[in-house]
Amino acid sequence: MASSIDTRPNKTAGGDLGAIQARDLGKVYRIYDKPMQRLVDTLTRSTKRGREFWALRGVYLDIAKGSTVGIIGENGAGKSTLLKLISGITIPTTGDVQVQGRITSLIELGAGFHPEFSGRENIGLACSILGISGEERDELTPAIIEFSELGDFIDRPVKTYSSGMYVRLGFSVATCVNPDVLLIDEALSVGDEHFRGKCLNRLNDFRDKGGTTVFVSHDMGSIKTMCQHVILIDKGEVIEQGTPEKVSDEYLKRVKARGNEQKMSMLHRGTADYPRWGTGEIEVEDVQLLGGDGKSSLVFETGELFVIRLIYKVHEDCNDPVFGIGLYRSDGTYVNGSNHHWRHQPIEMGEVKAGETGEVDMAMGALPLLEGQYYLTTFLYDHSKASPTAIDHREHVATFQILDPDHHQHGILKLPTAWAIRRSLPNEDEVTNLESGA
Amino acid sequence: MFQLLSSLKQHKRLLADFVGRDLKARYVGSSMGFFWSVIFPIVNLFVFMFVFRFLLKARWGEVSEKETALIMLCGILVWGAFSETVTRSTNCLVENSNLIQKVVFPAEILPVYLATSSVVNMLIGMPVVILGCWVFGESGPGASVVMVPLILFLQVLFTVGLGYLLTTLNLFLRDTFHLVGVGVQVWMFATPIFYPAQMVADAKVMLPDWLSFLSNMPNVHPVVKETGLPRDLLSEEGGYFSLNWMLEINPMHWLIDAWRDVIIFNQWPDPANLFRFGVVAILTFCLGAAFFRSQQRKFPDLL
Repeated sequence: MASSIDTRPNKTAGGDLGAIQARDLGKVYRIYDKPMQRLVDTLTRSTKRGREFWALRGVYLDIAKGSTVGIIGENGAGKSTLLKLISGITIPTTGDVQVQGRITSLIELGAGFHPEFSGRENIGLACSILGISGEERDELTPAIIEFSELGDFIDRPVKTYSSGMYVRLGFSVATCVNPDVLLIDEALSVGDEHFRGKCLNRLNDFRDKGGTTVFVSHDMGSIKTMCQHVILIDKGEVIEQGTPEKVSDEYLKRVKARGNEQKMSMLHRGTADYPRWGTGEIEVEDVQLLGGDGKSSLVFETGELFVIRLIYKVHEDCNDPVFGIGLYRSDGTYVNGSNHHWRHQPIEMGEVKAGETGEVDMAMGALPLLEGQYYLTTFLYDHSKASPTAIDHREHVATFQILDPDHHQHGILKLPTAWAIRRSLPNEDEVTNLESGA
Repeated sequence: MFQLLSSLKQHKRLLADFVGRDLKARYVGSSMGFFWSVIFPIVNLFVFMFVFRFLLKARWGEVSEKETALIMLCGILVWGAFSETVTRSTNCLVENSNLIQKVVFPAEILPVYLATSSVVNMLIGMPVVILGCWVFGESGPGASVVMVPLILFLQVLFTVGLGYLLTTLNLFLRDTFHLVGVGVQVWMFATPIFYPAQMVADAKVMLPDWLSFLSNMPNVHPVVKETGLPRDLLSEEGGYFSLNWMLEINPMHWLIDAWRDVIIFNQWPDPANLFRFGVVAILTFCLGAAFFRSQQRKFPDLL
């Protein structure tokens, strides 16, 4: 689709010298069923035995010097391929890309490091690869070591490093060698808050000095804070580009649409792969998640109306059944559990007869969950006895995704916070109050 | 080809880093450190003397028993450097995929650094052979050591060429690495390292009738045929299969011979053999480097 639209961006602000220029950039990977076929194709200089896979097609880029550009897309969209093409690690199949000046990249955790070498030796290795030698190298090495804060670890093999240490060393090398263009692939997501802050400062300095940064991520939040220009890639093609606000809307729409495509399979997996137990008088037949538009979905936005609907069927008579729902974050954190019985205003169902069917709704006016993946477990227990017994307990029935268009808060839950600052200025008697309500 | 050489020159600092690192890695963490390169050949020397002299009572043609062990040691040092480089080179792209896939890395230095590191290790062991020659009253090296740089250069050329060829092939067929492991083993025993070349030249295999077309030697006992002796005594009927060709196609035999001439026998290496080896080494290097260069742009995609 994108090949027909003009995907040439307007020149971004910051000067007329292009730092990165790509024309009709494309990359084909050939996929062979048998390795022997690839060898025969190579030796006979033909291509007939393999299948083509376009990882990237028809990409035009015009990234001005001194700008910070974000590339966003889902897994497998072609972001990393684009970075590899810009950095010159792989060769494009069509078109070409031109980069002015020295490029450094943080493509992956520990990329470009030799695991057996010590941190110091790896700095030397990186310098040699970048063609830095002599005085410059001797000057840069202590600066890199200092910024990485690795201490004594600098003389130990990098294979003994923690992932945070890898990032610290990688980031130090990539930014200390005075690059003109810096490529970053999600690498900043690792590391402690302290170092992250340091990195952000360093990136801001780098930008102020006229350095060009290309930042790849699938997290809209970090892209928004860092970049003035965002490029959205999907299935190897540039779909949209422009200001972060403009592109993020399109991105959220796409993620939602994709989430719903997978809906059925995910629900079914929920019943097959996770435990379910109970006496079975009543069966929770289906679980539906409804968004603000009243439609069933698996992707929701923070703050919208959210309803979890359980559809049940009674097979045998029983007394006082209680439906409940447990919410979990994808890492297993128990976010919330509730039912319609343990409330100030409990709902009592009393006696239910075989053949009855119905729906149970749990609604939240403004969904407080922040961006991430969550799943839910449904409880159906018999409360007529002293200790409730399971009628139909279904673990992990549905997985759903929350997107947060604002990215104002971080963590699991959006809390209604109020902020106030009271300023007493030295030359004035009055106190200035600045307030931001909930 | 010139591109490759100039790239190697351009990255000589990187190459030196890798070689230094590799040599260090051999000894890091061991208390004897660098001396292992010397101790290893010494131990080998005594093992060879024990096994071949006391147990197998093997002799190397005309020479003394002590020298037999020295000849073997010299052979195994050269072979060791060769086989180590070839085996490690074959896997070097796969092993360093982290570098090749994630940064713009000059992959051409990898086989070269492996060869250099092995050769340095071999040269550290060579003084043991020379010392042994003096201790056991053999001639030891003389004026012909001036040939060492040439032999060494050709050896590296041959080894690196094979390394380029095999490591590229290994990206297409990962079985290459295992095949090379087996191949190197077979090749070692096909090379006169633990036995004199003369034994191979003299050896002949009797062929049964149905393989007689393989015969590459005239029937040596025509008399037997004429006398009409019983069939089982006529096993020579099919003729002989001489193994002499094994020496004629084995460049490693020519190389090891040259080393022995120079280090142990104080002789000039056989010019014909050295010339042959030089031609093979240059051809191998050109072929390997050309194949490597032609595919190098695709390495990140092939890994």
